[in-house]
Amino acid sequence: MTAASSAAAAAALPRPGPWGIGRYDAAGQPVFFEVGWDDWRRDVAWARAMLADHGVGPVKGDGPGGGSPPCAEKVGGGLIVVSGMPESPWFDPFETAARELGAPYSIGEIYAFEAFRTGMYARRLPVTMIFGLDRTVAEGLGDELAEVVARVPVIVARPDAAGLLARAGAQPFIVSRVGPALAVECPYRSGAHVNGAEWAVAERGGELFISTAGPRAHQASEAALGLRGTLTDGPCGCGRTGQRVIISEGA
Amino acid sequence: MGAQDPFGGLLCTDYADATTVFSTSGTTGDATLYAHAWDRWHPFWAATARDLWEIGVRPGDYVLGSGFKMRGPLYHADQMVGAIPVLVNTGIGGWATALDAIRRYRPVYAQLTGLALAELDHLSRTTDMREVFSSFKGAAFAGEPLGARARAQLESWGVEVYLWTSTGDVTGAWECRQHDGCHAWEDCVLLEAVDPAGRTPGTSAPVADGELGELVATSLDNPVTPMVRFRSDDIIRMTRQPCACGRTHARFWPVGRKGDETIVAGRSFVPMDIWRALEGVPETATALFQLVRPAREIDELKVRVGYDPDTTTSVPELRDRVSEVITAAVGVPPVLELLPEPELLARGRGGKLPRVVKA
Repeated sequence: MTAASSAAAAAALPRPGPWGIGRYDAAGQPVFFEVGWDDWRRDVAWARAMLADHGVGPVKGDGPGGGSPPCAEKVGGGLIVVSGMPESPWFDPFETAARELGAPYSIGEIYAFEAFRTGMYARRLPVTMIFGLDRTVAEGLGDELAEVVARVPVIVARPDAAGLLARAGAQPFIVSRVGPALAVECPYRSGAHVNGAEWAVAERGGELFISTAGPRAHQASEAALGLRGTLTDGPCGCGRTGQRVIISEGA
Repeated sequence: MGAQDPFGGLLCTDYADATTVFSTSGTTGDATLYAHAWDRWHPFWAATARDLWEIGVRPGDYVLGSGFKMRGPLYHADQMVGAIPVLVNTGIGGWATALDAIRRYRPVYAQLTGLALAELDHLSRTTDMREVFSSFKGAAFAGEPLGARARAQLESWGVEVYLWTSTGDVTGAWECRQHDGCHAWEDCVLLEAVDPAGRTPGTSAPVADGELGELVATSLDNPVTPMVRFRSDDIIRMTRQPCACGRTHARFWPVGRKGDETIVAGRSFVPMDIWRALEGVPETATALFQLVRPAREIDELKVRVGYDPDTTTSVPELRDRVSEVITAAVGVPPVLELLPEPELLARGRGGKLPRVVKA
């Protein structure tokens, strides 16, 4: 048996179930949801386009490649994806997209005791993007946060970390889980894009609700997310149309 | 790469050729970076798919996802065998939700850590754990030794435990159904057990089959950061005798970490001695502790011990009993720092609590 023969044997196995199961909260209750293999493939394609807009691609040279947003040139370095294992239904498509785009990536977990790893990767590797940085890790970096911000040109952060990062000198873009979906800001900073082919978001009284718009395994209907924010519509500078969400800081 | 090589000379391609770069936890020193180039399945976890098959995981089965991701997409092993990962929080504080997921999806397998067992121990007071785990074909345990009490508790819940460990971070080595040592996959890694006292692999003699030795690993399928005769600091007993399961690759039993042996007031002991002692005290039975050791030879035995605040009625009285069992185990009375378990758990890293710390 070799790695190749194992992979070949695995490829021949049936895949009778979905890609995986995730969980989010709606109306204060846990909702377990399926991500089908076709759902995942479409999520990867969307993630790939979002990362490419931020200049993610094959590494160019040794050092950070610059690329002040809007990124007209490739960022030219690796990524750190800050996410936890239970967040894989949201973040795995971005990891897979990074691989497909030829950008090496590392994983910094979302726990305070793991913040050192995000700082260590940023310090030791030619990393030009951190994707998913949250408040726990930003605080866990302590005095190292300013150094990380100075070294890494593109930081895509959770809403709860935006203020802290701004005070440290960063101009973060926003990424946020919106129920079973992920919203990601493009380089034009006009709100975090939701993949409109898959999801539809509504706002009532400042709270966000989500419904499924695409042929997904999980069909949500006006699920109350307990998430405060506003919606923006119309064309964005990146060329996408459709909904963008602006999540209230701390959400 | 730049003037200072972050890989310490290990990187044999360009950084640009790597797909992922992960690291050791650096529990006892600077974290070591290691990289892989891969397409579709991460190689470390692709090898693990064979071990899941041995446990009995099959296409269509649900499995409970691991609590940690710093070593990459562990669920690739699940998906590779056609299983469906249920990706909920199985880290600290997540097990109430995880039990909900177990009831809904009836998974056949989960990955457990010592910190998870501490939380399950608490939940078992109000939950029928035999019913919860009745769908399981097995559960894996890694990251640190499995104490005798914890093993007995899992078995009382009907869980067949498969220990696994890493081979110098090259790949994993898992027990088979015989539970008679961890099998290396020697198409991925070449294993040696050498005299731990030798300073370099070139001058270290291999130890005899079954004797204590230091695990030395050479990766066979990673052209990006190939470890060549990497001294792991892991002390093992290794055999090349065929296993009753039929496999002929190297098999080993982890014994401890090189350098864990401590000398206090002229007496030698290892952390497992304290572990067993604490398991015998109900309030500290989860054996959450840290040996505070600024050097290998110390004058006083300082131990930080976590206790269950729900069942502890008197901390001073508990201090006396803990002191008594540790003194009996090591031969030296300890200087104790007692902390409620949640406070000590917060010092965990990567699913495990460093058992030997400097401060």
